[in-house]
Amino acid sequence: MIFGKSRLELKVGIFVFIALVILATFVLLIGNIKTWASGYKVNFVFNFINGVKVGAPVRLAGMDVGEVKNINLIYLPEENRMKVNVVGWLRKEAIIPEDSSVWVNTLGLLGEKYIEVMPGKNYSRCLQENESLVGNDPIAMHEVAALLKNITDDLDQTIVKIKNAEGTVGKFISDDTIHAELVELIKTTKELVADIKAHPWKLFRKTKEKPVKK
Amino acid sequence: MLTSILNIFINLGRRILAYVYFMGGLSNLAVQTLFWVFIPPFKKNRILEQAKKAGIDSFPIVSLVAFFIGVIMALQTAYQLQRLGSEMYIASIVALSLVRELGPVITALVVAGRFGAAVAAELGSMQVTEQIDALETLATNPVKYLVVPRLLALSLMMPVLTLYADIIGILGGWLICVQKLGISSSMYLHITFDALLYKDLFTGLAKTVFFGMIIAFVSCYEGFNVEGGAEGVGKATTRAVVTSFIMIIAADCFFTALFYFILP
Repeated sequence: MIFGKSRLELKVGIFVFIALVILATFVLLIGNIKTWASGYKVNFVFNFINGVKVGAPVRLAGMDVGEVKNINLIYLPEENRMKVNVVGWLRKEAIIPEDSSVWVNTLGLLGEKYIEVMPGKNYSRCLQENESLVGNDPIAMHEVAALLKNITDDLDQTIVKIKNAEGTVGKFISDDTIHAELVELIKTTKELVADIKAHPWKLFRKTKEKPVKK
Repeated sequence: MLTSILNIFINLGRRILAYVYFMGGLSNLAVQTLFWVFIPPFKKNRILEQAKKAGIDSFPIVSLVAFFIGVIMALQTAYQLQRLGSEMYIASIVALSLVRELGPVITALVVAGRFGAAVAAELGSMQVTEQIDALETLATNPVKYLVVPRLLALSLMMPVLTLYADIIGILGGWLICVQKLGISSSMYLHITFDALLYKDLFTGLAKTVFFGMIIAFVSCYEGFNVEGGAEGVGKATTRAVVTSFIMIIAADCFFTALFYFILP
């Protein structure tokens, strides 16, 4: 048994040691243990990424398999334009065939942006470390708005035409000659049907015209 | 009439002067202590003794308070978040508030109330029985002999106690969420450590070193400046605790604002 001075030292030592263990646990857990898990990095090249941030999740077939590690702009001379290169870290078991499609998706309407990968079919060629996959561009909100505006403009013109009684539909709605003629037509049809009911033999009467020769 | 108006000004001036004297004396003690910290000999055993009193003996009460704070935080945030249907964020709120603010401040307040009061009373009774004068006649510097071990012990033990408080508070929140609110255990831990960043942990721990210094300086200063007998010791103890509390909260406000702006 330990007594006196070294007993005090032992107590303080154990107390501080446990605290250091807690500190180490905190540091490891905050630093995310998966840093040590095996994985690989791939590049996704986009024209437009709609505000994806570093740390955003990468989903393969809807499942979180990694995250965005880095985002940088690259200049492609052959296409003569700037592109965005998103470096994604993926777990080792997340295999991405080269014919997969990748795009930026949003959780909810205004939610967090993430990288969505839909696996392709050709598993003979899969992405290796540091290889690139060209992404489909997300539809920018302003494009959607422009499209909607075009549609409403066209609709507007049509409605104005209808209101001014231009074109077939416009006349159909505003002109009542068609209505009068339809009433007339129904009246004569009724008479015809009544006539046939009264004299059905009229249907079987031989016509005088001869069939037209071909 | 005139004398009552004059008395108002006299009272005001007396308070301001008392404040200035207090801050001056405190700074004087702080500078002397920080000087003597680096002067050998280092009495390891005296530091360990104070570390045991400040750290190990405070541990049960700190952990009890931290546990209850964790439980309260979980229940309180659950009360609000259940309306929004997002109970899973309880974990991150509990973890962030404990590690950033509540852990350090609660620990500091408990240690100030427990150990700070003890230091003020101990040094105060040494002062009224003229033991501190006796130390000086024996060519022993009272600051070196009495304040330095307490300062070092508190600066070392405050982060240690805060770590315990953090983990026990998170445990309290975990208990409520897993046992009462039906959140799965692994989900709770995942969200907790997903929400925490290194800066949250280390700014929380860095603050506590300064809180420890505040407790040591204020308690020792009040203890050294006891006037009168037993009654003076009681007054000094009260003043030490109250002043420590105010200065800890004020320092916490300062550090939170500082870290908020320099580490966004």
